Amino acid sequence: MAVLELINVTGGYTRKPVIKDLNFTISQGELVGLIGLNGAGKSTTIKHIIGTLIPQQGEIKINDITLKQDIDKYRSSFSYIPETPVLYDELTLKEHLELTAMAYGIDEKTMKERASRLLSEFRMEKRLNWFPSHFSKGMRQKVMIMCAFLVNPHLYIIDEPFVGLDPLGIQSLLDQMDEKKKEGASVLMSTHILSTAEKHCDRIILLHDGRVRAQGTMNDLRQAFNMPNATLDDLYIAMTKEQDNE
Amino acid sequence: MNNLSQVWSKRFNHYLTEVQKYMRFVFTGHLAIVLVFVIGAVGYQYSEWLTVVESSFPAEWLVAGIVGFVLSFSRPTTLLKEPDQVYLLPLETKMAFYFKKVLQWTFFSQAGLVAVIYIIGIPLLNEVTELSSTKIWLGLFLVITLKLLNVHVEFNFRYALRGKWVLFDRLIRIIFSILAIQTLLTDNYLLAVIFVLLLFFYNFIWKKSENEQPIPYEHFVKLEQNRMMAFYRFANYFTDVPHLRGGIHRRAWLNFIYTLVPYTKNNTQGYLVFRTFIRTDDHFYLWVRLTAISAIIAAFVNIPAVILIVAAALSFATTIQLKYALLSSKEFRMDLLFPVDSNLRTKAVQKLIRTMVFLQAIVILICSIGQPLFYLPPIVVLLISELTYYLTKNPAKHLY
Repeated sequence: MAVLELINVTGGYTRKPVIKDLNFTISQGELVGLIGLNGAGKSTTIKHIIGTLIPQQGEIKINDITLKQDIDKYRSSFSYIPETPVLYDELTLKEHLELTAMAYGIDEKTMKERASRLLSEFRMEKRLNWFPSHFSKGMRQKVMIMCAFLVNPHLYIIDEPFVGLDPLGIQSLLDQMDEKKKEGASVLMSTHILSTAEKHCDRIILLHDGRVRAQGTMNDLRQAFNMPNATLDDLYIAMTKEQDNE
Repeated sequence: MNNLSQVWSKRFNHYLTEVQKYMRFVFTGHLAIVLVFVIGAVGYQYSEWLTVVESSFPAEWLVAGIVGFVLSFSRPTTLLKEPDQVYLLPLETKMAFYFKKVLQWTFFSQAGLVAVIYIIGIPLLNEVTELSSTKIWLGLFLVITLKLLNVHVEFNFRYALRGKWVLFDRLIRIIFSILAIQTLLTDNYLLAVIFVLLLFFYNFIWKKSENEQPIPYEHFVKLEQNRMMAFYRFANYFTDVPHLRGGIHRRAWLNFIYTLVPYTKNNTQGYLVFRTFIRTDDHFYLWVRLTAISAIIAAFVNIPAVILIVAAALSFATTIQLKYALLSSKEFRMDLLFPVDSNLRTKAVQKLIRTMVFLQAIVILICSIGQPLFYLPPIVVLLISELTYYLTKNPAKHLY
């Protein structure tokens, strides 16, 4: 069953569309990478999915429901990690976790159990009562990641997750994603770290100039570009050159 | 030359619009009302005092002291910006033209204050001293001349020593300025002229050493940034200054307030709003300030009508400012994605405002005990707050 479904989605910030006629789905238990050059429309696509932008045309469904049909159900089905951490300057780490848990209707006991596991996984136990102004970029990112995983939703939407994280943080995030995948959750992740994407993603969506240029498993992509044995880096560069030739 | 003239006039216009933009809020804000009351009261006291002041009162020293002290604050308004250290570097030798404009504006913008202070002192001088009015007006001319000198000295000193020893320089100028004014007001013209000439000479020394130095951009830019920051902070008391991020403090002693919003899904926004209010300096001190003014008036002014008007005006100000501060936001926040009812934020803000206005009413009640009709101001506070909340529009802009 498709957890996330985009049907002919066209949209952008102004009348001029940034993403055009997007079609893709993500199934249960799938980790899908959204890959593309700067300005290809990755973040815009994500903003449409989380509902901060409304499509000019087409439909986006999570668990077969659109935002309009049931806004609360739509929103509780996913959690989102933005490219730049968005934290409340006036809340401590502990309060960020509590606030998120409250919003998603998680009882206190469950919240505490999940939080303590995440805190030790991301090595942030000692910073529970700190304000974000004392956090480094990586730590801020970790707060966002912990809040997202605390919710335990059907779908994770993660924008450029590896920027600013230390290698241990990256490993912890990948471990968390693998674990959630095994439990049946799906992940949509946009990234520029292609080697990691190639290694961990079940499928790749190559976005180019607001359109889906190619999608599928690594093997599907190699066929589409007619480059057997190519790495994702090779395919990415091939796509860049294609753009230059246009 | 032409370029620099354009640079100056562009910056100057931009600066003026920026200042005007915020001064509008300052003069329509609640503190303006309070200021009118304070100035009226002080003026009345002053005129009463003049009728009883003794002729032995050291009026010359007092006027010279206050004016001399204020004269020494002559920081140049350079309008320099950080990139200037790079982009204006090739124009180093031509910058004298720019700084001439700087000094002109600094003088004209600051001369008014000392002139007004001196003029306020004139009734006192008339009352206590035997000075003819020509001599008193000659004093005003001296004050303005001293201002011009002070502006030039402070600029040249900061230039020559690149921002070091400024307090020492200020002290010297305070002494010279006070002595010049005091000697003039006591008919020692020769001494007054000598002190002014000494200040001239003092300026000349720094001017000369300035010529041997590159422009201290770093110091001037920092000075300018501090000056604008001080202005924005001041303006922020009256309105929301966008590029000014106020401080955040835990204020753990107020943690008990959070028990008003226990852990439930419906309290999600309340959880956030109560903490935002208590910990954001801008919001919290707004409430403290307005409550304190209202309480002081209630405690010390014995006119019930005044207490009621002030209490009503400040209850209105508290409600409307908190409503706008907590409900209008253009930035993306994670709670915009929360699967909770979109009315929760508005409800939470209303609960917070009710709580804080109730506390304000209690403080005012305590302060007005002993006054006739002491129970009225708190009732007015609560009533006006509710009316304000319901009759003003909801600034919440939903992103979707």
